[in-house]
Amino acid sequence: MSYYFTILSPTDTPLFNIAFGTSKGGGDGIARFRFPETAQYMNQFIIHSSLDILEEAQWTNGGMYLKHIDTYPPAAAYISAFLTPSGARFLLLHQPPHLPSSTSTGSGLGSSSLLGSAGSTTRASSSSVAANPTSPQTEEAVRQFMNEVYENYVKTAMSPFYKQGMEIRSPVFRTRVTAAGKKWL
Amino acid sequence: MAAPPRHSTMLSISNGGTQQSGPNDKQTQQQAQTLPQSPGLRVPSNRKTIYDRHLNRSRNAELSRASFAYLFGEMVTYAQRRVTGIQDLEKRLNEQGYPLGLRLLDLLFYRSTSTSSSALSSSSTSSSPPNRPLRIITLLHLIHGPLWRLLFGRSADALEHSVSPDTPNEYMITDNDPLVNTYISVPREMSMLNCAAFVAGIIEGVCDGCGFETKVSAHNQPTEMWPSRTVFLVRFGDSVMEREKVLERAGVK
Amino acid sequence: MSANKTSRIGEEIWKSVNPQTPIITEKPFSIYSTAFRPRTQANQLFPRRTRVDKVNAELVTLTYGTIVAQLCQDYDSDYQEVNKQLDKMGYNIGMRLIEDFLAKSGVGRCANFRETADMIAKVGFKIFLNVTPTVTNWASDNNQFSLIFEDNPLADFVELPDDGRAQDELWFSNILCGVLRGSLEMVQMQIEAHFVSDVLRGDETTEMRVSLVRYIEDEMPPEEE
Repeated sequence: MSYYFTILSPTDTPLFNIAFGTSKGGGDGIARFRFPETAQYMNQFIIHSSLDILEEAQWTNGGMYLKHIDTYPPAAAYISAFLTPSGARFLLLHQPPHLPSSTSTGSGLGSSSLLGSAGSTTRASSSSVAANPTSPQTEEAVRQFMNEVYENYVKTAMSPFYKQGMEIRSPVFRTRVTAAGKKWL
Repeated sequence: MAAPPRHSTMLSISNGGTQQSGPNDKQTQQQAQTLPQSPGLRVPSNRKTIYDRHLNRSRNAELSRASFAYLFGEMVTYAQRRVTGIQDLEKRLNEQGYPLGLRLLDLLFYRSTSTSSSALSSSSTSSSPPNRPLRIITLLHLIHGPLWRLLFGRSADALEHSVSPDTPNEYMITDNDPLVNTYISVPREMSMLNCAAFVAGIIEGVCDGCGFETKVSAHNQPTEMWPSRTVFLVRFGDSVMEREKVLERAGVK
Repeated sequence: MSANKTSRIGEEIWKSVNPQTPIITEKPFSIYSTAFRPRTQANQLFPRRTRVDKVNAELVTLTYGTIVAQLCQDYDSDYQEVNKQLDKMGYNIGMRLIEDFLAKSGVGRCANFRETADMIAKVGFKIFLNVTPTVTNWASDNNQFSLIFEDNPLADFVELPDDGRAQDELWFSNILCGVLRGSLEMVQMQIEAHFVSDVLRGDETTEMRVSLVRYIEDEMPPEEE
């Protein structure tokens, strides 16, 4: 499973991004997205396309963790969301492993892989987290991940020099998010 | 202040490099600079960083009330040197309170998710996990109760809604004896000034953070028994009132 | 805030929506006066919080952080100037705080500077910041010492701006230097105080150096700055 995690301000400004792969079930923690050349761009595009759904969910569900809110079939990607009460949005894009056809080079962006169907993962991992992005185990693992990031986000935001909407550049924060990813995903 | 519609936001991102925001505008400060990853701050070898400190460490800590009074007094005196009138001074105090509201909101929710004795649960029975407030009344109860208790060690004294058909968007939170006014003696010629404008800013930050566009102002309403009694007038914006109707129909609590 | 807004607050058009009272929505036009709730009732709900001379430490921390952040903004991150302003604020506080200190501690005159140092650390900081810095590194003439802060409530939650300068130039807690200077001046001691290290800067300790300049004999106390 490959992950792309981003924090957006209440006005959708990106404050923090990180890509990582699963560490569960013998994973090496490295992200391998379907379209490595354009992964960053694609991931941001997919995440932004889910914001309208997020805004709807925001006013029907008062929880902070909203579970998985959207899917993006062309990339077989799932989006999970967590809303801080002060309006920051944590979004996690998860994408199951490569299809066999696109594992070899990873350089081409063929039209066939763009149409790759959702969930048809052949290289199934032993980990339940990687195996099924919508299973209760996955939702719970993502919840734990989000909570841990939230704790570190609050620590960032409590500093008098942090103003809402400022990019989070602390390497310590990045390390903490990476550790949370390793621990739960 | 409500979030602008998405398209305008995207526009502001693409212009982010050239548009410089005014230093005092709350909303336009939200442009993240896309600077390269920095090597970061130096940290002591015992790793005393904000990330190593538990957020609940000072939860029940107390300090001398005088210390607060001295600091707050200096804050008002300093602000006064840089403004031209009472309204300006109150605006400045409000703006200084606003970011505190955002911080306190996150802190309150963090504490209620991380501990069994929830900071958000009211004095009554509720023990379910906390929800972000979606409705005005839930939001105001959060301010009247948990926020006031975190800041001042007690709930506010009253919460009221206007019953005038002209102003359904107006609410009042009353504090009979605001801590921030306890040690402040306002000169006679500034009798209209209420330094609780700072607290009004905190309330505004909390409301805004939760997605409720609001203007909050502090007003002196002394009674014989409570000479520094202060009313915080909370006025919600039209977008909030519109959404309130939709949520009401949808049965959202 | 227009005048009519203010005056409207006084009118009886308000309906209580206290959590304690049921929210009545079926009578939108009836007029309710506020249910009067004396302070004692609130205190009974939270008996631990009745000590009137105490406040939540975080309120102090956050308020101080707001002050420093505001100064940094107003002085455009000219940290030398911010240090100066903080020291000045502290001086103003110190001049007024000493009376409070003498009343609360009931201590008399110190015999020498060593006694003064202990008084500052063990009584003064204890009363106002609830910490007890260590007094150490005395100069051989007994006129200079260091205060080492294990804890500093003013700096809780704080991370300095990552601009490549703040960690070299800003003394976040500099107000404390001014407080010492102001309060000791009121008891006839002219001192100089400055921070030499701060964990916020990545140093191993937070240390303030305090030097006695002279005892002020038979002079009028100075004007407020």
